[in-house]
Amino acid sequence: MVPGALVLVIEDEPQMRRFLRAMLRGNGYQLAEAETAREGLAQAAGRNPEVILLDLGLPDADGVDVARKLRRLTRAAIIVISARGKEQDKVAALDNGADDYLTKPFGAPELLARIRVALRRAATPDDGPPIEVFTSGELRVDFVRREVLRGGEAVHLTPTEYKLLTALIRNSGRVVTHRRLLHEVWGVNSEHQTHYLRVYMAQLRHKLEADPTRPRLLTTEAGVGYRLLAP
Amino acid sequence: MLLLLGVVSAASWTRLGPALLASVVSIACFDFLFVPPYYTFAVRNTDYILTFGVMLAVAVAMSRLTGRVREEAADASERECRTTAAFALSRELADAPPERLVPIALAHIGAAVEIQPAMLPPDAVGGLDAIAVRIAAAWAVEHGLSAGAGTRHCAEADALVVPVRTAASRLGVLVFDAPAPRATPSRSARLTAEAMADQLAVALERAGLAGEHDRARAEVEAERLRTALLSSLSHDLRTPLAGIEGAASSLLQGADSLPAPVRRDLADAIVEESRRMTRLVSNLLDMVRVEAGALAVRKEWQPLEEALGVALLRLEDGLANHPVTVRLPEELPLVPIDGLLIEQVFINLLENAVRHTPAGTPVVVGAEAAPGGVIVAVSDRGPGIPAGSEQDVFRKFYRAATREGATGSSGLGLTICRGIIQAHGGRIWTEHETGGATFRFFLPFDGPPLPSPPPEAAG
Repeated sequence: MVPGALVLVIEDEPQMRRFLRAMLRGNGYQLAEAETAREGLAQAAGRNPEVILLDLGLPDADGVDVARKLRRLTRAAIIVISARGKEQDKVAALDNGADDYLTKPFGAPELLARIRVALRRAATPDDGPPIEVFTSGELRVDFVRREVLRGGEAVHLTPTEYKLLTALIRNSGRVVTHRRLLHEVWGVNSEHQTHYLRVYMAQLRHKLEADPTRPRLLTTEAGVGYRLLAP
Repeated sequence: MLLLLGVVSAASWTRLGPALLASVVSIACFDFLFVPPYYTFAVRNTDYILTFGVMLAVAVAMSRLTGRVREEAADASERECRTTAAFALSRELADAPPERLVPIALAHIGAAVEIQPAMLPPDAVGGLDAIAVRIAAAWAVEHGLSAGAGTRHCAEADALVVPVRTAASRLGVLVFDAPAPRATPSRSARLTAEAMADQLAVALERAGLAGEHDRARAEVEAERLRTALLSSLSHDLRTPLAGIEGAASSLLQGADSLPAPVRRDLADAIVEESRRMTRLVSNLLDMVRVEAGALAVRKEWQPLEEALGVALLRLEDGLANHPVTVRLPEELPLVPIDGLLIEQVFINLLENAVRHTPAGTPVVVGAEAAPGGVIVAVSDRGPGIPAGSEQDVFRKFYRAATREGATGSSGLGLTICRGIIQAHGGRIWTEHETGGATFRFFLPFDGPPLPSPPPEAAG
């Protein structure tokens, strides 16, 4: 049996490290630990982990800065951990190379789900053949025929809605910041027009969700962006 | 003498010109009728020339005198008007809330001067369009004196600028645009405007002082609440902690002997109590931010549905026993809100509804467009708000009698809601009604400019 993926934990608080250690080892992952940003950067370079859990509140460095440096060092998936109310830090980290985030306090299921998504993405190379069909929950998108189905029924999307959905599918399971979605769908000049995104996201939900006020497929990451349910 | 009477009466009713004409005519009549040779204008005796001169001088003097009396009478009646207007203004200013002071004063001054002024704060003076008016306004702010049209300073400006100031502070200027060149406000109109501007200044300063007084009282209140907070907190924090410690130590002790369902129960209890503590702590942090005025509101135009959706999903477990119906009209406009904060308002209102209503009763969240904003309503079918407590429920640490078995409230949820809504420039309230409680809040359309509707992306 192949040994579990190596997860590097960069976290200064012993209690959190203890919890993460128990959780990750208990689920078959290998573990590397670092207490400071410096040590974390050294381990990321030396041990080549597949996933990095980075606490944004390290005492010895600015978390966003660490995320940027890590991204230059490694292709590993970077998941940042931060407290509620620090949404802007999360957005900054995500715009600077982090792949996803977790808000403290979080439970084991959330953590394991994020790691699974990160590992799945690592397994699909960027330059591989594009996927032809995407399915998640009731949603099925056939990229070859440009067809969107919900529970087997065809849904008519406008070109912009389709573009937005495609951008989310490319990152399925992962949070995508407002800025990045705006960039991908409307172009670089519209990066601050978040209301474009919100209006189209609402339309998309009304077409694809069973109950648009309780979205399951296209969830809101408050203050950060959106996430499409992983397949 | 009779002729002189005519001159005087002419002078008292009219101006100098007609009075002079009247005196010349009467001198001519006198000459024609009474001065030898009679019935000609010729004068033989040079003494009469002197008489004519005296008569003319008397006529002029009389007309000057009566003219002044008339002017003074007019002045007096204008003064009276001014006093009446000033009195009316001061009476209205005395009863007005601080934010109404300026509109009231502007209306009164506009009526008295017959030109509607605009009030500009001192730092907005630089934004005036006409250069001459801008200079006049800057001069008026700096010197605390009127400037512009009809004054000695910057008279070439097309507007009269009157400062609103007290000895201590410069509060702004009133700008009266002259409707046409040369149609500048009269001197007495200017005096009226200046007097009323002073009244406004005094009222504004008084409101500022009253504000300070309120702040001092609020600080005392805050101190009292801090003490209450400590005692209430130690209880609220210890209860879940005791639960967590108890459950965790039982798990440790009976690791091998406890049956699986019991272990699961204990683990559930730990998670549940931890979440309760998390909620309490984040409520406290929110409260501190609201109190400290440190609530940074980042408004963006967005549909309400999204913030509500996040709240409904986060509360999913808590709402399991309370079906929530959402009624958002499709044509509901975008609102400028901070999504994270409004989400918190929804969470607190929904938790509040759950806490005070029996299991199984429905909760309805609705919204409708209102003039200048949107009104959102969260209604439950519980016992409702007792009459007379409609204001109290928003008070810090106010706790209504909760139904049996309900988790205790921190008494902060509604206070936080009010803080957040007020920081948005809105209002939250509840009214006594039968058949349940309804909390409503108004979110105004003020914030960044309304953006253009989103286009279809190209390509």
